[in-house]
Amino acid sequence: MKTRILGVVALVAVAAASVNALFIVPADLNQGDAQRIMYVHVPSAWLAYLSFGVTALAGVGYLWKRDLRLDHVAVSGAEIGVMFTAFAIWGGMMWGQPVWGVFWQWEDPRLTTTALLLALYVGYLLFRRLTDDPHRRAARAAVVGLVAAVDIPIVHFSVEWWRGLHQGPTIGSPERLLDPAAPMQFVTALLAMVGSFTIAWAWLMIRRYQLARAEWQIEDRARRGSVAEARQAALATRRAEEVAR
Amino acid sequence: MSGMRADLGIAWAIARKDAISELRGRQAAGSTLFFAALVLLLFGFALGPDTRRLAEAAPGLLWLAIVFGGLLTVARLHQIETDDGALDELARYPVERRAIYLGKAIAGLMAMLVLGGVLLPVVAILYGIDLLAAAPALLITLVLGAIGFAAVGTFYAGVTVRMRAREVMLPLLMLPVIAPLLLAAVKATAAALAGDPLDELAAWLQLLTGFDLVMLLAGAAGYGFLLEE
Amino acid sequence: MNDVWFIVAGYAVILGGLALYAATLLRRLGVARRESGSPPDHGEDRE
Repeated sequence: MKTRILGVVALVAVAAASVNALFIVPADLNQGDAQRIMYVHVPSAWLAYLSFGVTALAGVGYLWKRDLRLDHVAVSGAEIGVMFTAFAIWGGMMWGQPVWGVFWQWEDPRLTTTALLLALYVGYLLFRRLTDDPHRRAARAAVVGLVAAVDIPIVHFSVEWWRGLHQGPTIGSPERLLDPAAPMQFVTALLAMVGSFTIAWAWLMIRRYQLARAEWQIEDRARRGSVAEARQAALATRRAEEVAR
Repeated sequence: MSGMRADLGIAWAIARKDAISELRGRQAAGSTLFFAALVLLLFGFALGPDTRRLAEAAPGLLWLAIVFGGLLTVARLHQIETDDGALDELARYPVERRAIYLGKAIAGLMAMLVLGGVLLPVVAILYGIDLLAAAPALLITLVLGAIGFAAVGTFYAGVTVRMRAREVMLPLLMLPVIAPLLLAAVKATAAALAGDPLDELAAWLQLLTGFDLVMLLAGAAGYGFLLEE
Repeated sequence: MNDVWFIVAGYAVILGGLALYAATLLRRLGVARRESGSPPDHGEDRE
């Protein structure tokens, strides 16, 4: 019931913050209306990183405690993180075309890192699907998730150098909105979006975790059922043998 | 300290065993080398016949060929273990898991160095590049790149070794992780070939070294969890 | 202003995608709960 209230709050908050960001906040002086995309792009990117952080921590927790519930948290974070990563890339592209004149700016460390982030965690999810034993899947996924998490800063760093050693910085960045000199209205609009998206994220995480639990129960019951079936079949065979003797 | 030395001894024994079996079963290793050289030839068809353009793209093409050949190499090094259940045997020995990882990684490194050593002259001939002028810098780049690739590749080969669709899953999991290695190695190779006009070679080699160290540590720590059942 | 279409596309995909994922998630959860036989808490599989 509480989760349901959270869901309604998230829906209202996202709707209100979006209306504010789209229609009430004035356009940016330099970038015009295109800057409005930042109000959905920045929260998406933040939640992508938060999700993958949760996945990495839950993975460490699993390796330590060997509790499958932690693995269910990890898979929830990865799936929701992949979704927000895709949103962040989409938002970045829709912003890049009007402001930079291209959808894709290779030397922007954020965009390039995010693309690899998507590839890393899509791989993580596919990997999970192809491994059957729940404990082996949890342990291996935890290790794969950890190596991915270790790789992300190196990726970011390398792309930063790629740019830094070659050309000047790319013009226009999301930080414009968090610049202390930016008008207060921009900052509050962005914070409202970040806040409402985070509430929605929390609701999604809870629901996705519940889904993972329910799926685990089905899987577990099927496994136990097949074990019981096998035992019954073995008993029947033995009885038949005894009768035959 | 003696534990460390014992680890190294075990790692060396595993690497030696792999090297010997690679040399005896020459066909598999040989066909990987041939495949990688073929990739370089096909890049020539895709981008040629303008030699200047090929020379410009050569660092990237060289490393892509190394990556493709390397994927096959690390997969094979783990496959020979599982085909007859040897990896289970190996995991049952009372030795540190990181020693097993290190041994497989050293074997991978040796195979990668052979691969690079074959591909460098092929690139020089096909794309018209003067290798000798930049030889020391190129060799350092090759060694550092090979270490990183072997470190990551050994780990992911261990991850995917017994799973369904591993032929797809190994590159799928591994390629995004080695993206910074590819970037740094290509940039270092390009800088070395151009005589390092922007004074950036050292920076890229540092990045490669950092990547190697981080991935060796992560791989050694993570590999133990892969062998347990 | 040409930019408008990029803003529309940006918001539509992100907000629409969020809603679509949430709806699919609820449906998946409903199916899984029915299959696992655990009681749905206060009809939460509907929304």
